[in-house]
Formats: sequence, C-alpha cells, structure tokens
Amino acid sequence: MSDLAIDIRSVVKRYDQHVAVNDLSLAVPRGSVYGLLGPNGAGKTTTIRMILNIIVPDSGTITLLGQPHRANGITDRIGYLPEERGLYKKMQVRRVLRFLAELKGVKRRDADRRIDEWLRRFDLKNGEKDWGLAKIDELSRGMQQKVQFIGTLVHDPDLVILDEPFSGLDPINAQALKDAIVELKSRGKTVIFSTHMMDNAERLCDSVCIIARGQKVLDGGVAEVRSAHSGRFVALAVEGEARHLVAPVLSDRRLVSRVDDNNRYYELELAVGADAQELLRRVVATGAAIQRFELVLPSLHQIFLERVGARGVEEGMTGHG
Amino acid sequence: MAKLLVVFRREYLERVRSKWFVLGTLLGPVFFLLVAGAPRLIGGRAEGTPDVAHIDVIDATGMGLGERVVAGLRERFPLSRAPYLTVVDRAGAAVAQDRALLRVEREEVLGYLLLDSATVKGDSVRYEGRNANSHNDVDAIRGIVRSQVLAQRMERDGIDPKRVAAFARFPLEMHTQRIDDKGRDRGVQLGLIFLGYAVALLLYMMIVIYGQAIMRSVLEEKTTRVAEVVVSSVNTDILLAGKILGVGLVAITQVLSWVVLSIAAMKYGAQYIFGEQVQAAAVATAAGSPGAGGSPGLGLLAVGLPPVPLWATVALFLCFVLGFIFYASLFAAVGAMVNSQEDVQQAATPVMLLLVSSVIFMGPIMANPGSAMARTMSMLPTSAPIIMPLRITLVPVPWIEVVGALAGVAAACAASIWLSGRIYRVGLLMYGKKPSLGELARWIKYAR
Repeated sequence: MSDLAIDIRSVVKRYDQHVAVNDLSLAVPRGSVYGLLGPNGAGKTTTIRMILNIIVPDSGTITLLGQPHRANGITDRIGYLPEERGLYKKMQVRRVLRFLAELKGVKRRDADRRIDEWLRRFDLKNGEKDWGLAKIDELSRGMQQKVQFIGTLVHDPDLVILDEPFSGLDPINAQALKDAIVELKSRGKTVIFSTHMMDNAERLCDSVCIIARGQKVLDGGVAEVRSAHSGRFVALAVEGEARHLVAPVLSDRRLVSRVDDNNRYYELELAVGADAQELLRRVVATGAAIQRFELVLPSLHQIFLERVGARGVEEGMTGHG
Repeated sequence: MAKLLVVFRREYLERVRSKWFVLGTLLGPVFFLLVAGAPRLIGGRAEGTPDVAHIDVIDATGMGLGERVVAGLRERFPLSRAPYLTVVDRAGAAVAQDRALLRVEREEVLGYLLLDSATVKGDSVRYEGRNANSHNDVDAIRGIVRSQVLAQRMERDGIDPKRVAAFARFPLEMHTQRIDDKGRDRGVQLGLIFLGYAVALLLYMMIVIYGQAIMRSVLEEKTTRVAEVVVSSVNTDILLAGKILGVGLVAITQVLSWVVLSIAAMKYGAQYIFGEQVQAAAVATAAGSPGAGGSPGLGLLAVGLPPVPLWATVALFLCFVLGFIFYASLFAAVGAMVNSQEDVQQAATPVMLLLVSSVIFMGPIMANPGSAMARTMSMLPTSAPIIMPLRITLVPVPWIEVVGALAGVAAACAASIWLSGRIYRVGLLMYGKKPSLGELARWIKYAR
C-alpha cells in the first residue's frame, strides 16, 4: 500500500489559451494535514476538482489512496467541502444528509445513526430542539455551515478535502473546524485544504505546497520549508525616533530586497548575496538605538510573498483558481 | 446503479412530497371537471338530467304496465335513484296525479308518469315534471314506455316473455354525421376529436411543466452550489439520468392519479352535476380499460370515451416517455447554461418554441388529419411526441409510420442526451455570464 494519500504527477489542465494547471506534481503523505496555498486564481480549485474527478486533466496521472483516481468507488472514501457552499434549501436537513451519505454508498440505516451522532455533536439536536427535522433554509448561516460540514464527514472518509474552509466562518465555527481537522488527523485521516490565509496553514499543516499561476512554487514539510529559507530574514527593532535614521539603509536594494514594516518591528529579507553582518554594521553606523536584531525563521506568509511576489497575486484571475 | 437510484429517489420523493404536487394532483380533476362541465352548466343541462328515473310512475292501466316501465327505467338509468310505483284503478288516477304533483313541487321526485288505457292502446302517455322540456329525458322515457307497451302486447299474443325481453333490449345508439357544403364535415367522431385533443394537450402540458421542473432543479443545484458536492460523489451522466427519470415518473404518477381520481369523481360525485351519459361513460371506462389512452382526463369521460386499442395506448405511452426524455434533457442543458432565474426563461425560449410549434399546428391537423402537413408533423422528431398521438386517435395510422416516428424520436433523444450531457457537465460548475453560442460549442467540445 502506498504511503501517499494523494500522488499527483505532471498534471496539466488547459482552458482555451489559458493554462489553469501546468505540470503540477504533488505528494500528500497519508495521515497528514496538507495545505494547498496560493493566491486567487492560482489553480487550487482546479487541482482539487481534478483530484475529485469533477474535471479531467489533459495529461498526467492522479493516484488516490493507492488507486487511480477514476477507479470505481474511490470517491466514496473522500469527503469534500467546496469553497462555494450550499445545500438544497427546501429539503429537510436529515434528508439532505441522508442523500449525501447514500451518494457515498452508506446504507440508509447506518446513515441515520451517524447523522444522529453528528447532529448531537454539533448541538443541532438536543433535548429542546431537533434541527434535523427543519428545512435547510430555516437554519441560520452558522448552522448551515455545520450541516455542510457534517455532509462532508458523514461517510467517515479516509481523505478529506476542504476548499477554502475558513472563508466565511465566524470565529466559533472556525475554531470548531480547526478542532475537527486536528481530530481527523489523530484518527489517521488525511486532510488537505486550500487557503490563502497563511496563519491557518502555518498553525495547522504538517506540509504545504505553494502554487501560483498553475505551477508549483515549492512544497514540503512546514518546518523544512521554513528552515530552508532561514538565514535570509531579519527582525529589526529600533527606538521610535531612530526610524528615520535607518530608512536609507533599509531602502538599499543591494542589501535588503524587501521590507515589511510591522510598526513595532521590521521584517527584512536580505538581498541575494547580502550578509546579515554587513546589515548590522550599517545599522549600527547610523547611530540608531537598536532594540532587536535577530535572524528569524520566516513565516509562511514571508515565504509566500518572497516566492510568489506581488506579481503572482496580481496575475491571478478572479474567481476560481 | 446504486447512485442512480439514490438520485432518482431524491428527485421523485422530494417532488411527490411537496404540497404543490399534492395540491395539483387533487385539483387537477376538479379543473378538468370544470372544463368538461362548463359548457353543460352554461348550456342549461341540455343533454340530460341526472336522476331521470327518480319519478312517480302511476299505473292506471290495470294490466301491470307500471311494473314493466319501472323495471325498464331502472335498467336504462342504473345510476339514477329508483322510480316509485303507484298502482291505482281508473278512478284513483286523479287523486294519485294530485299527490304526485305535490311531490314534484316539494322536490321529492323529479316528475311523474301517468300510464292509462290510452297508453296501452299506444295512443298517449302523460309526463309532467321539472325536466319536461328536456328533449333527451322525455325521449328516453317515451322510448322506455313504448318498448314496454310493445313487449306487453307481444306477450299477450303468446310470445315467450324471455324472448320478448331479449328482443326489447337493444340500446340502438344513433351515430350522426354532419354534412355541409364540402360534404362530410369531418372524417372523425366528436369523441375522438376530444380524445386526440386532450391527449396531445396533456402530453404537451406534462412536457412543459415537468421539463421546466428539471430545468429549475438543475438551476437550483447550480445557484445553491450544491452541485459541486453532488458531482464530487456521482458522475454527471448518472445525475442527469436520475433527474430525468425521477421527474418523469412524477409526471406519470400525476397523470395516473388524475385518471384514477377522475374516474372516482365521475363515479361517485359527478352524477349530481352531469347527465347519465357521463356516468355510463365513466363506468365503462372504469370497467373496461383503466387509464386507456394514457390519460384522457375527465373532459373525455364527459363526451364518452371511444375505445382505444392496446397498441395505441402503448404507442401513446412511448410517445410520452421518449418525448419527455428528449425535451427534459434539453431543458436540463438550459438550466446548466444560466445562473439565475431571470436568465433561464429567456434561455429556454428556443426549446419552448420547438414545443409550441407542435401545438399551434394542432388545430389544422385536427381538421385534416390525413393531410401532408399532419403526416410530416407527426414524423418530425420534435413534434412527433405530441402530434403522432393526436393523429393516432383521429385516423388510422399505418404502423410503419408510428414505428418510424418513435424511432426518429428515440434517435433525437440519443442526440439530445449526448449534447445536453456535455453542456450539463461543463455548465453545472460554470459561473459568470451566460455563454455565447461559440462558448457553448467549446463547452461541448471540451467536455471530457
């Protein structure tokens, strides 16, 4: 049995003149939480849809849980939460969930039992009220998101794919989602989610892949990715009055390629070939009172900006990536 | 296959459970009843009165003619309330007449019939009643008295009563044919015209209503974005097939319910509204061929349902099924093309035009079902599902033409399913502006 949950090799998808995904290869280890990062229009949703066999790649292969992704019944082992969410509005909650479960091959009686458990767990069914009997459009937005999430997990999938799961969630539901992801991992499930919120990815993911313009920019374990980019980022803090003193140094492009002003401190990315010691000497020479000068591990956010850059973000098409 | 069943079941059950379906199913027969009954109600019950036999029969003949007439009335109007028989001598006739008059006034009976010696002689019989100016009623009663007098005379001459009864029992319906300047008015019976018209109209209605239901269902899945979850679990072809079959079965369920309810309504309720012919027809239908002609609806029962041979019923059914699949798949493609309720009606216009084009020719075709136009329209795959049933009911159609038309529609189905399947596959997850024809062509080309 392959130890990869998802193995994508050299996948290409073109639309007319536009290449949505270009020669993308990905390896998602079983039992990991994997982040698919990229700006809007980078090809994340297209990639996810190809994994789910909703759209067919022009070339390349996709292997899921050791089987070709078009193999019979393989999608029954996947749970999918699309970016754009919605359910049959006029249908009873319980019937919607039963329908989704049965589509995944769960027997009716099993489905009913699991739906019951999930409704209780998400407090949609308690002593007072059973929302399972209500129609979808009678539910609040937060409740609908819960129902949608139950629909994703009701068949106990081995592989869970979440497309921008945090977008549109209030803090309470976002926390519940985060807990659920962690719990899925602890039960040996593989979770892959796409996001452009780097903080979430950094906290949650074992591994990430950054894609832009349909191409992979980098991938690997979060720790490895960050340490691979270490030594090139500096956190610098000076006394308030001295900020204008260091400004000329920071704008020297031979030394510093990018400055991220976080108000209380700067995050600096060293220019190619530049040396942190040289930077320190130059800052000291300005006479500014240094409060902090530290070589730091870059955040995913920093790495993302460094590798994708403003251009990649701007070039992204609006809509689905 | 298991997933097809899941999709099919959802489409079917969610629709059948909805209050609109229940309401439509219950109100359908009422609507038909009104449509069928309106001319009669407006026309002042010209064609007969229910309860015709609910009268007083006064027998002053002293020969037992009253008993025979009562039996005759009951036989002729089995669904009417029974007549009352009063046997009197000649002197008591006047008193009996007064009493009967009072009963009519109090609406205890519809009228009274006086049988006396003049009746036995074959000269006259007296009928007074609320329906005395209804030709049909009076004619019917007169016919019964006449045949009973005749029977009594024959028996008196020594002819076996059973044979007399056998002789006397024949309904002798009159078949009429209008002739005008151009010769025979129409080559077909009125009843057949109604049947053909009703069947064709019903097919059209069901295709429009339920074809659009599929369109809205696709659009709903698109606008609520549930489509993406569903297609990640099930192939779009299966989804589309489940939808068409599920909604199609809803249509069939509705029509069958209408037929059953209509027959029940006719049998138990309508006799108070319409004449006895209706009941006879309803009973004949109920006894003979339930659901004959697919779904004649009540309008037909009211004019009397002509017998429809089994093969024609099968052909009608196939016409509906294939026609429905053809149009339903096109409607599904339209639903997948657009993103909003506002756009969908406009986008559906070409499909609606195809459908309507067969309906606007119904009039001329009914007038002249043997014409070249009628033949062409009944063979053309887009209009055959509606026009062929119309022709079948109006005139004898060679079986080869029926089979040919069905084969044509089947081929058109295959083409429309192929085309729609591709549009559906791409369109279902395509948001943004409505595609141009060029983009649509690309969708079809790029789909899997």
